[in-house]
Amino acid sequence: MTALGASPAPIFFLPGYHCNPCCYNLAAMFQFSCLPPLSLYIHFPWCVRKCPYCDFNSHEIRQERKQEGAYIESLIADLETELPRTWGRTVVSIFMGGGTPSLFSPESIDRLLSALRARLPLSAETEITLEANPGTVEQARFAEYRDAGVNRLSIGIQSFHDAQLQALGRIHTRREAILAAEAAHLAGFENFNLDLMFALAGQALKEALDDVQTAIALEPAHLSYYQLTIESNTLFHHHPPALPDEDIAWQMQESAQTLFHTAGYRQYEVSAYARPGKECVHNLNYWRFGDYLGIGAGAHDKITDAHTQTIHRNWKVKHPDDYLATAGTSRVIAGSRTLSPQDAVLEFMMNALRLTHGFDHRLFSEHTGLPLHFAEKGLQQAEQLGWLKQDQNTICPTARGRRFLDDLISLFLPDT
Amino acid sequence: MTDLKYIRNFSIIAHIDHGKSTLADRLIQLCGGLTEREMAEQVLDSMDLERERGITIKAQSVTLHYQARDGQTYQLNIIDTPGHVDFSYEVSRSLAACEGALLIVDASQGVEAQSVANCYTAIEQGLEVIPVLNKIDLPAAEPERVIREIEEIIGLDAQEALRVSAKTGEGIEELLEEIIRLIPPPQGERDAPLQALIIDSWFDNYLGVVSLVRVVQGTLKPRQKIRIMSIGRDYQVDHVGVFNPKRLNTDSLKAGEVGFVISGIKEVDGAPVGDTITLADNPAKEPLPGFQPIQPQVFAGLFPVAGDDYENLREALAKLKLNDAALFYEPETSQALGFGFRCGFLGMLHMEIIQERLEREYDIDLITTAPTVVFEVLHTNGETLRIDNPADLPEPNYIDEIREPIITANILVPQEYVGNVINLCIEKRGVQKQMQYLGNQVALTYELPMNEIVLDFFDRLKSVSRGYASLDYEFNRFQAANMVKLDILINGEKVDALSVIVHRDLAQSRGRLLAERMKEIIPRQMFEVAIQAAVGSKILARTNVKALRKNVTAKCYGGDITRKRKLLEKQKAGKRRMKQVGKVEIPQEAFLAVLNVGKDK
Repeated sequence: MTALGASPAPIFFLPGYHCNPCCYNLAAMFQFSCLPPLSLYIHFPWCVRKCPYCDFNSHEIRQERKQEGAYIESLIADLETELPRTWGRTVVSIFMGGGTPSLFSPESIDRLLSALRARLPLSAETEITLEANPGTVEQARFAEYRDAGVNRLSIGIQSFHDAQLQALGRIHTRREAILAAEAAHLAGFENFNLDLMFALAGQALKEALDDVQTAIALEPAHLSYYQLTIESNTLFHHHPPALPDEDIAWQMQESAQTLFHTAGYRQYEVSAYARPGKECVHNLNYWRFGDYLGIGAGAHDKITDAHTQTIHRNWKVKHPDDYLATAGTSRVIAGSRTLSPQDAVLEFMMNALRLTHGFDHRLFSEHTGLPLHFAEKGLQQAEQLGWLKQDQNTICPTARGRRFLDDLISLFLPDT
Repeated sequence: MTDLKYIRNFSIIAHIDHGKSTLADRLIQLCGGLTEREMAEQVLDSMDLERERGITIKAQSVTLHYQARDGQTYQLNIIDTPGHVDFSYEVSRSLAACEGALLIVDASQGVEAQSVANCYTAIEQGLEVIPVLNKIDLPAAEPERVIREIEEIIGLDAQEALRVSAKTGEGIEELLEEIIRLIPPPQGERDAPLQALIIDSWFDNYLGVVSLVRVVQGTLKPRQKIRIMSIGRDYQVDHVGVFNPKRLNTDSLKAGEVGFVISGIKEVDGAPVGDTITLADNPAKEPLPGFQPIQPQVFAGLFPVAGDDYENLREALAKLKLNDAALFYEPETSQALGFGFRCGFLGMLHMEIIQERLEREYDIDLITTAPTVVFEVLHTNGETLRIDNPADLPEPNYIDEIREPIITANILVPQEYVGNVINLCIEKRGVQKQMQYLGNQVALTYELPMNEIVLDFFDRLKSVSRGYASLDYEFNRFQAANMVKLDILINGEKVDALSVIVHRDLAQSRGRLLAERMKEIIPRQMFEVAIQAAVGSKILARTNVKALRKNVTAKCYGGDITRKRKLLEKQKAGKRRMKQVGKVEIPQEAFLAVLNVGKDK
């Protein structure tokens, strides 16, 4: 540490003050008293079919199964090279997402999780989630995934209406969706999530709420309820479907919120609802600006480095073939970024302000390594606008702040 | 050295699309000005904007050498002219440098109103006009009918009119021979004191001011000390030369010749168009007759979106003004838009061109307010005011009378569309003065309020006639009219930059349409936005933009956070491009909404 590390930081480092990252010593600014919790994300880049709304790194599967074994070995090799960055830190959650991880056999998942256990300190409570398609084949495997160590499922239902499912490019039906949830219960998963989407093409309010009620009746521990968003680089972006107007979408959201609440699900993030105590540990760690490793094609990570007192984000090569060819070597890294204090403030806010109940002052300084006054300008503006409440210990978006969250977060963008 | 008698200076008069630029290109090619490879299509239209729109805005010149059948080599100077009504003043400047003009008429479409007006200007200036039928290769060509039209409408003997195709090259050589035979060589004394007429000037970032001149008397050479007569400033000549069409330095420009002069002038107002250049040590007694100063007809406010662009805008306007004498500007302050400039233009196309050049060439984001004409207002204190900004209109109780400008419009339209055009003129409060059947075409003369013309008359005329009607107009008089100021209120506050002056009979419908249009343009915001249209305290129409429900990114996990960040930055930048009026963010196009109110009817 250099002399500049003394706290409080000099006035010219306040956010909003334009400063070229090259002209100061990053390490001098951040001070981490402890390290944030650590999660692990594992990406599975294949799907049976690419959905027209999906902008994740997914590829239609070509050679059936051929690469499954090789990919698992690549993931393990990839992890091996990452281990030194997080030596000795306990992993609080593992999330296997995609793509469609449930295209991989229970044997492969078992092989992977065994390898992870051998290399990472996991506790019995570590949340291990697998994203699954509600297809018939996958349902038959739920129990075996559980035996392999998966203790949470996230099932991509999206809708219980066959016409909507078809329009979304999904390969399952309403019947399969319902059976999948039942199969999850039967397989012993008391903790599973259902993904639902609303404001779909031509969707009426009644239809959306029917989806919500059907989902609640299946008694998942957790529900993710997203408004369909047209992302660039998707088929929908080039051929936009006729979506309901924003007033109807708003009605859907408000009515659904009431239904979730009445059924005992509490909203804790923009699109996340959970039974008490069943909030997703993994996602919460993202939203609290925790650390995470990312392995798999195109996976991103965010790691706090205790030695250099800096925060890094790395990402892996995107294409599965490139990944298979480079995993385990340094060439698997497609890019990396070291956060400036301004980046850290903004990225913390982009995540933590999504939480319905906001965050502790202490969480900010612990996870960004910066004193709270780095965020002061934005916080003050937000409070004046009535988008934020602050007390001694906590910072919480108001109902209005939650409704205009993007505007709220934009207050923390550096002035250009 | 070319003897005066082997020089020919001429312009080309043609309607848009009648093939003027293609013809010029063909002449250049035939005289070996450019190799096949160098022929970018339509070399004379050098501005990107001109090529994209297929129109000529600025005068350009090219010097060619043609070996005629009599064995002599002739120097041909072509001075290109714009074809749009807004730029007729440019035409008269170009013509002042010539002894002749080619009237190019599309052999299938016939004569158009704009060519008629330009042709008259040429005849008035004593030029030899040679009628030429172009596009003779088209199956639809009807040379006999078009010859009759030229004779009936313009009154020019066209029996001998040349039939050419600029596209195939047919008849081009004959045309060159006719140019030499019919157009008189220039007059002038090469040893007399220098008199050179500035036809055009423009600002080059490397060279300073470049002027296109016609040397009338004397000789212009590098290293001479020249004087710009009207402003009395002296400069040293760096280069003289011609465009072939590339810039080519020469030893001198002599009486009768057309070319450029560069003399290290850095001030944008250093070489005004229409001025005379002479020598400092041997000055001419008199300047040459210049051009008539041009009165702008249409006014609009130009405001930088970003306040700190104000100085850049001032500088850019000064540079554009240099070779666009008709552009007028003075500072204006708007409550809603802050500091900007009130600009005067020749017409709507001129306004669009200036706007686009400012945005493209000078990279300034602009808000343009609705164009308006100049009204004469008789104040109760007996004064007559000229009002070019609705915000300056006195309160109604101080107005004795408002007079609006009336133009005389000459419209040429094929018979089958004449009904549509008449209906349009009636809708625009026009009064018919004359109607004449000439061959297939009908010549209509209307008196129309200019205020109606600036809105959407051109577009409508084109659409009701499938593009066949053509229009030329000139100012006629001011005439008392029952005009009112129509205001737009946003959340109860009058937005000065949105006010327009309209005829009382149209106020109700315009107000309603304008409010509706605003509703479509203004995006939903965090609160409801009320839009009202009012005359004085009387509300004519009201509507509102519903409040935005939410603005939230639905999904955010551990993936690529920089992408989400870019979306936020884009949102923020989008808002910065809008103008904040009170609490309401108003997009740029709202200020021009009045132009589009009639379109969707």
